[in-house]
Amino acid sequence: MNVDEVLQWLGRLVVIPPAILLLVLGLSAIFRRPLNERRVGRLTAGCVMSGLACAAAVLGVMLITGERHVPVEFGHWVVIPEEHFHFHLKLIFDRLSVPFVILSFVLVGTIGAFANRYLHREPGYDRFFVCFAMFLLGMIVASVAGTIETLFLGWELVGLSSALLVAFFHDRSNPVINGLRIWSIYRIADAAFLVAAVVLHRLTGAGDFEGLMGTGAWPLGAAALTSQQALIVGLLLLFAAAGKSALLPFSGWLPRAMEGPTPSSAVFYGALSVHLGAFLLLRVSPILELSGALSATVVVLGLASALFGAMAARVQSDAKTALAFASLTQVGIITAEIGFGLRYIALVHIIGHACLRTLQLLRAPSMLHDYHRIENAIGDHLPEGSSGIPGWIPRVGQSSIYRFSFERGHLDAMLDRFIVSPFVAIFRLCDEWEQHWTDFLTGGPSREFSARTTTTETAEEP
Amino acid sequence: MRSVIGDGRVESNGARSLDDRQRSIADAIGHAAHLLPAQGPITTFVHHNTLHAFEGLPFEEALDRAAATFGCHPYLREERYREELDSGRIQIGDLADVLRCDLLDRADENIAGLTTRYELRFAMLRFPLRSGNDAELRWLIDEADALRTFSTDIPTATRQLLRKGTRNWLASTIVDDDDGLNQLAETLKLRMRSGTLDQSDDASWDAPTLEVLWRLCHRGVELVPPMTGPQKPAIRLRDIVRSLTNEDSDALVNDVLIRFCAAFLDQGIARWRLPERDAGFWNAFLALYQNGKPVESWMTDLPAELRRIASAKLSPMDSICESLDMIGITESQLPQFIEETLLALRGWAGMIWQMETNAEWTQYPAPRGTLEAYLAVRLILERLALKHIAKKAKLNTPLRELCHQFSGTGHDATSVGKSLCAFHLFQLAQHLEWTADKLARISVGDWATIIQEMAQFSSRERRRVFHLAYERRYRDQALNAVSSHIRDQAQSRTHTSESRARPAYQVVCCIDEREESFRRHLEEIAPACETFGFAGFFGVAMYYRGVTEARFHPLCPVVVKPKHYIQEDPLSTFEDASRHQAETRRRIGRAAHRVHLGSRTFIGGLFTSLFGAIATMPLVMRILFPRAAARWMHRFGAIVRPGATRLRVERIEDEPGSSEGHIGYSVPEMTGIVGNVLRAMGLTRNIAQLVMFVGHGSSSMNNPHAAAYDCGACGGGCGGPNARAFAQMANDPRVRQRLAAEGLAIPDDTHFVGCSHNTCDDGLTYYDLDRVPVNLREAFSSARNDLHEASRRNAHERCRRFASADFPQSFEAALRHVEGRSADLSQVRPECGHATNALCFVGRRAWSRGLFLDRRAFLTSYDPTTDDERASLLGGLLNAVVPVCAGINLEYFFSYVDSNGYGCGTKLPHNITSLLGVMDGPLSDLRPGLPWQMVEIHDPVRILFLIETAPATLTRILDSAPSIAQLVRHRWVQLATLDPNDASIHLFQNDRFVPLDSSDAPLPTATSSTAWYDGKREHLPFARIAGSHAARRSTEKLR
Repeated sequence: MNVDEVLQWLGRLVVIPPAILLLVLGLSAIFRRPLNERRVGRLTAGCVMSGLACAAAVLGVMLITGERHVPVEFGHWVVIPEEHFHFHLKLIFDRLSVPFVILSFVLVGTIGAFANRYLHREPGYDRFFVCFAMFLLGMIVASVAGTIETLFLGWELVGLSSALLVAFFHDRSNPVINGLRIWSIYRIADAAFLVAAVVLHRLTGAGDFEGLMGTGAWPLGAAALTSQQALIVGLLLLFAAAGKSALLPFSGWLPRAMEGPTPSSAVFYGALSVHLGAFLLLRVSPILELSGALSATVVVLGLASALFGAMAARVQSDAKTALAFASLTQVGIITAEIGFGLRYIALVHIIGHACLRTLQLLRAPSMLHDYHRIENAIGDHLPEGSSGIPGWIPRVGQSSIYRFSFERGHLDAMLDRFIVSPFVAIFRLCDEWEQHWTDFLTGGPSREFSARTTTTETAEEP
Repeated sequence: MRSVIGDGRVESNGARSLDDRQRSIADAIGHAAHLLPAQGPITTFVHHNTLHAFEGLPFEEALDRAAATFGCHPYLREERYREELDSGRIQIGDLADVLRCDLLDRADENIAGLTTRYELRFAMLRFPLRSGNDAELRWLIDEADALRTFSTDIPTATRQLLRKGTRNWLASTIVDDDDGLNQLAETLKLRMRSGTLDQSDDASWDAPTLEVLWRLCHRGVELVPPMTGPQKPAIRLRDIVRSLTNEDSDALVNDVLIRFCAAFLDQGIARWRLPERDAGFWNAFLALYQNGKPVESWMTDLPAELRRIASAKLSPMDSICESLDMIGITESQLPQFIEETLLALRGWAGMIWQMETNAEWTQYPAPRGTLEAYLAVRLILERLALKHIAKKAKLNTPLRELCHQFSGTGHDATSVGKSLCAFHLFQLAQHLEWTADKLARISVGDWATIIQEMAQFSSRERRRVFHLAYERRYRDQALNAVSSHIRDQAQSRTHTSESRARPAYQVVCCIDEREESFRRHLEEIAPACETFGFAGFFGVAMYYRGVTEARFHPLCPVVVKPKHYIQEDPLSTFEDASRHQAETRRRIGRAAHRVHLGSRTFIGGLFTSLFGAIATMPLVMRILFPRAAARWMHRFGAIVRPGATRLRVERIEDEPGSSEGHIGYSVPEMTGIVGNVLRAMGLTRNIAQLVMFVGHGSSSMNNPHAAAYDCGACGGGCGGPNARAFAQMANDPRVRQRLAAEGLAIPDDTHFVGCSHNTCDDGLTYYDLDRVPVNLREAFSSARNDLHEASRRNAHERCRRFASADFPQSFEAALRHVEGRSADLSQVRPECGHATNALCFVGRRAWSRGLFLDRRAFLTSYDPTTDDERASLLGGLLNAVVPVCAGINLEYFFSYVDSNGYGCGTKLPHNITSLLGVMDGPLSDLRPGLPWQMVEIHDPVRILFLIETAPATLTRILDSAPSIAQLVRHRWVQLATLDPNDASIHLFQNDRFVPLDSSDAPLPTATSSTAWYDGKREHLPFARIAGSHAARRSTEKLR
């Protein structure tokens, strides 16, 4: 067995354990044969450890042999030649994907161990771990994806599991509303992604990153597109990345995602999921080089998001929201770094930030204890949180800056008022017309189900 | 001239009516404020009765009222009680007794000639009646076999009776006025004639019988005009608008208010403070929202409205008046309206009220009048939101008319109510043998009676009776166990005469029920020792500052306002080193603070996260190996912590205070404290050479509710310093001299040692050991071994309650497990806290020693033989013990009974807000109360006090202590006495003490506590733990 074959096998073995985990947990949930907590814990640990070991081995072999680009083929899954359609699964191990895979395994694995105790005896324990496994698989597949359709597969798994975890406490209305909101934003971002993928296929005939970005190993590839084409595809991908990474104007969903249990908030929004957009941009960074306008857009969007995040983080008075906006600040900076072409720095930044934020979010319930300890060490009340807004700004200006940050830039309100409301209004109007029409045809009220019910039935009077 | 006078009069009238209006609004706010949750900042968690506001009412009535006010469950769910009935936790006999006591002479009244009230209610308790909404009922009747076969719990004899009744009905049937019934009768007769329905074939009669019964019940219900219960008219416009449009204005309003309240009350999370915060809630809101153009369409008019209010210089009260007028609230609706409005976001409103009235010690308390300002703001937002919703739904009426126009709207529930009622009747008819021929003869009036009777015994009433039976079972078991245990003791004492030898050593613990097992194990290990219980601040009510702490904080029950200060100092020898350490701590602290804030900013965050990968190490370590990580951190922390310290207990100046020289107590004050504590416990004679005072606290990670696990008698702090201070006082020769003069002689060779017990990791810390005299060193080290062994066994006993700890094989493994729990970031159940608490014994330990109480009893030491005639010691003890224990017990009770309503639900989504409390997720009401993980294993029974005294004495004490009397007479707690002379037990019922007729059933006996509890997770029954020598052998293998 030569080195290449070993790498091929190791590469496959990186993806297989998470898939097994999802399969086992998913099937046990479908057939209502829940595993006990200890088994789930062991299974998770086992799968994560074996995946991590393989990823580390890949890294080792690559370092020793000096190989910088290892493609692993899973073949075409669907081919319809007449329609020029093919679904091509392929993994790539290179300087971008290997660190990202290892990061994902380490963080997700640690969170798995954490959650196994944190969710002990919680009614949704099984549900959590199914989503957890789905997230892990999605994350790994997205990290090592070698074609845009593979990336999309991982991307979707991450999106679905994230939205479900936000709505984890589905007996209250807020988590469900927020989960649905996030799902909608993800769908819009996904649509952009999908359009980008189609455009890519149109332009290059394949979704393969290799064909798209030239043959060089990351980050040295050069894309075979014109500047104009790069701008179009790049903007679509940037839109998708903005949705996933909560960049402007989608930033409003990030604090809303804190509805789930603490560990899921930590890993999904603090650490991994929120970086997926940045990762996508890193992956397609050769395109960015082709178009100055595109790079500039990325930089501006990144910096604007970072500035917005930094402002919003300063006025939030609850632990998790403050951390969410702090995350956004760094993700914005990372995006800007990518725009500037600082790819390695961006990668290091992602890894460092993900680890730090995970720890901070997991420790969020310790905040009282931490403040108390710091107070004791300093020997006095905490240094007063000075208004912090630069003094040379006039009072009205200070108030507006505070208000802007306090209202989180009115982002959600604007989306609601200028996009969602008109959209809903149009469909309501159509619905009304339809009802008039059917009423007319039946000669009476035609739709009893649309009659409003205002009563909610409770099982037992309180 | 006249016109001026006239105008003046008119104006003064108007002013007076305005004044009246404002006064009644202020009154209503004040009244509603009492209903708000009374939990202050979460860092000093104080257990108190969740329904404190209703304590003036009898328990059951208060629960009803509170349920209506807060929309919470007053008792457990009915299915839960039925499960307990099936499992034997509720005894059917108890249920019958409770029901009889409840009904008294109304029990045997005849109901419609069919049954008695008692029988009807008893059947409704015993047999679960299937319920459902309209669709479910239709399915049950049309599709399922409700009309085909009898349900399995109907006995054969009853079935036969019912079948016979149907045949009789068929035989005698006269033409009924109900067509369906006539038709049914015709069909059945036809089938009989054709032979498909045989007289002798019983089974074939099931379906016809059931169908006839159902038809009869259905018709019966139809005959009776629908009963309209007293439906509370909706008073809040929000409720009316919601029922009309399906849109909730509260959702809009709360979103703004939650964020604003959080920013206003913030104690230091946000870096930028709310502008104009110091000008108060009202001005800050006006300042923030009167400029700019809101994007939300419902808030479009807000800036203009606020500008108008600001330029008219309206006070919050003026604005409230104005808003109420605009909404159209009349004087009579006012109190209820304000109550409901404030309760709409009750967590935040409650916190505002607490910060306004009860939190002067915080960094940023709220000024007086904040709640009023909150209400004013809320009403402004509400009317804007309502106007917007109404406009959108094309309800073009002004708000105040909307209120009058639609205030009666409620949905019509009679059709559901009717079929459900019929279905319940149908099921009861089967259980109570109401045969068809009987039912057919019932008059309309009788049907009405039955239906009314059923309606009166509603689910809530049934649950109340269930609950009484539930509590009664445990109470009987507990009292019987005590009386049986005392009998056993008396018998065994006849063989071995009790020795009054001097005990090896004495240990004084907190009364906390978590120390019960610790004491029990200690007594098993060392039969020659004695244990006592006293409220864990040991009489030393003080402000305390530890050597590494920034500020003084109170260590005493919350009701006490301490006057004295005690400080921990480094030993003079180490003062220099200590100064360096303090400086290092300060530097580390400042750096930590900078990193903490910096990691959230632009540049700082950039640096911290570039190096953030370093955070992986502690992250992974702390999650995968919590215990090792904690030890390592501790060792590191020890570098900057002074090793040897002492307490500054003695005061130099006359006046107590926090400044230099004023810290501490004077010798007479110390004498008073030591004397009072020893006398109250009855520890005035036979004092051992070594007396340990053990305070307690708890350490856990990642736990906003950490303070709730600490010592309740220390106001949610650790009682170690109190024990240490007490020991130092009691060791002072001048104190002893004065005590001897008062007649309380502490032997010269006696030494007191202070100690602290960590109830989470079961660690023990001893204070000032270098002061232990040389001749006692050996005695001390052997006592210390015993205590250590007791704490290991205590850990072992605690592990049986943790589902994630599988019954550790050895005591040592158990200790390791609890140590790991305490250091684990991911552990949401570091310990069980006060869960399962149910008893409080006040009396000598002698009669409860050797009784397995399963960590459920607060144990207060009191010796009636050393008390005076008027029992003044007991009176003092009860004044402190009863409210504290009742507070803990009732808070657990309500947080368990309705975890989402009274408690704060599951811990998992909790999010610390403003450093004051927790929300669910990023935006919700503040959640006061206890989290589910804390109360999960609780057994909701009202606490039972068993007090060793004569009933007459206790009655006297109740008469002179109104606060206790209210709790007792209104049944918030249960009370019994144990007579010190003849050991008879009296139970306080219906305002008097009734002797308990105890059963003679012997107590089960176990060789040791470990033998009794090992391998069991559930609540355990009482048991007698046999001789401790045997115990030692049987648990040997576990070491």
